Amino acid sequence: MNKVDLVDFVDWSGVECLNQNSSHSLPNALKQGYREDDGLNLESDADEQLLINIPFTQVVKLYSVVVKGPEEEGPKTVKLFSNKEHMGFSNVNEFPPSDTAILSPDNLKEKPVVLKYVKFQNVRSLTIFIEDNQSGSDITKVQKIALFGTTVETTDMKGLKKIEDH
Amino acid sequence: MVLEATMICIDNSEWMRNGDYNPSRFQAQADAVNLICGAKTQSNPENTVGVLTIAGKGVRVLVTPTSDLGKILACMHGLEIGGEMNLAAGIQVAQLALKHRQNKKQQQRIIVFAGSPIKHDKKALEMIGRKLKKNSVALDIVDFGEDDDGKAEKLEALLASVNNNDTSHIVHVPPGPNALSDVLISTPIFTGDSEGGSGFAAAAAAAAAGGVSGFEFGVDPNLDPELALALRVSMEEERARQEAAAKKAAEEAAKHEKGEEQPSSSQDATMTESASVTASEADNKRNDITDEENALLQQALAMSMDDPASSHELRDTDMSDTAADDPDLTLALQLSVQDSAKDSGSQTDMSKLLADQSFVSSILASLPGVDPNDPSVKDLLASMQSQSEPQEKKDEDEPKEEK
Repeated sequence: MNKVDLVDFVDWSGVECLNQNSSHSLPNALKQGYREDDGLNLESDADEQLLINIPFTQVVKLYSVVVKGPEEEGPKTVKLFSNKEHMGFSNVNEFPPSDTAILSPDNLKEKPVVLKYVKFQNVRSLTIFIEDNQSGSDITKVQKIALFGTTVETTDMKGLKKIEDH
Repeated sequence: MVLEATMICIDNSEWMRNGDYNPSRFQAQADAVNLICGAKTQSNPENTVGVLTIAGKGVRVLVTPTSDLGKILACMHGLEIGGEMNLAAGIQVAQLALKHRQNKKQQQRIIVFAGSPIKHDKKALEMIGRKLKKNSVALDIVDFGEDDDGKAEKLEALLASVNNNDTSHIVHVPPGPNALSDVLISTPIFTGDSEGGSGFAAAAAAAAAGGVSGFEFGVDPNLDPELALALRVSMEEERARQEAAAKKAAEEAAKHEKGEEQPSSSQDATMTESASVTASEADNKRNDITDEENALLQQALAMSMDDPASSHELRDTDMSDTAADDPDLTLALQLSVQDSAKDSGSQTDMSKLLADQSFVSSILASLPGVDPNDPSVKDLLASMQSQSEPQEKKDEDEPKEEK
């Protein structure tokens, strides 16, 4: 099956990001169009950590993830959690992550990080915890977050049509 | 109508025995808490409020966030005063209580009453503030009691580290005759961030501010319609009586002067609604003036009545203002300057000032809690200007005001 960009399946009403700077918020990194603009970043606020929750409109399988950021303030340790909503910074380290990625400078230049596919077979929501950044500065900056994978065959309710009576 | 979960931190330390707030700091605080709970639950039925105490033997949660107002008010009974306030622990426990709220969609907010000295230093408070900001918890601080050891600066520093886009607020309430709750009512703590106040807050604000704000005679027609009606009727009767007396005085004055027309009746004619312009007579010209220009004219008349010589400059500016708008009006004003046989009986200095609508609205705008665009304020202004309106018009105003 072909891997597609899952941005079309993001449920925007439930997207949340803790500790983001309100003028440099999550849509800058996630939304089509904004994420292509390197001038528009997602930035952290009080300290360098970020906690992002992305629910999907249907169940997906996640294959790889692209995190693009500047060399210095771009993220380094990124932990991904599948189907764990409403986490806070205080309990995020109590659960084992579904996968952990230490980003290299190549990754920050849009080289995709391939994930442990078996752990992401049935994802309703994805939580991304950015623990620190490349240079250890107080602010983490993210230019783009893109998720690649496939959808699971779920019924599209809009596609259901009434059978015509003859 | 923000969906919110709020934790209120009450200071029940020994300092609350002090009577510098009426009747005691603790009682004033309790009243304020009751009001806040009511406002929060009313503004959105799904809002929850919880209460904890931060002094005494230790931080104690009295009730976890709930939308049941009765439960919250009940837990305020039998609270003991004693010990020292522990602000840091109180805020942290409040944060924990909010974290475990049932409805995760609610925004988190902590309201802290700080009425005694703070033993933590600025750095510690700033760390706490940053943690709150990181977890997107808003913080409202009510600073009352004495200000020593830089309490106000510490609290301001705390607020600065929490504040994210003005969602957090601080209020300093100095000791004085005003009740703590009254001062709080007009603050954003009560009214929510940019809502302009729920109906509860607005009504309470109007009642507290008294007199001129929003409701005639300082009585809310919703709370006490009979009283409001009685007051209004007696006011109208008094006005009618005064107007009749003035008319009588004017008639006598007119008999003695060479005045062309009945000045009082002409004045009545000007006060009523606009009519079409006729050529030469001054009073007919005045009939086509709207309320705005009516005020100007009334002022001009008053000036001309009292002292034609000294009020020339004022009238000239008035006239130049209106010159562009209405040449007929200018002519009328000029005629009124020449015409000296005008009724002056009932015109007092106060009514002159009140006739100047811009002056009144600027005063009203500077009063807290009054919105000059509020329809009831506008009604009040209109009725004050046209003091000698006939009874039918007043009756029209009454059902409008009672809405």
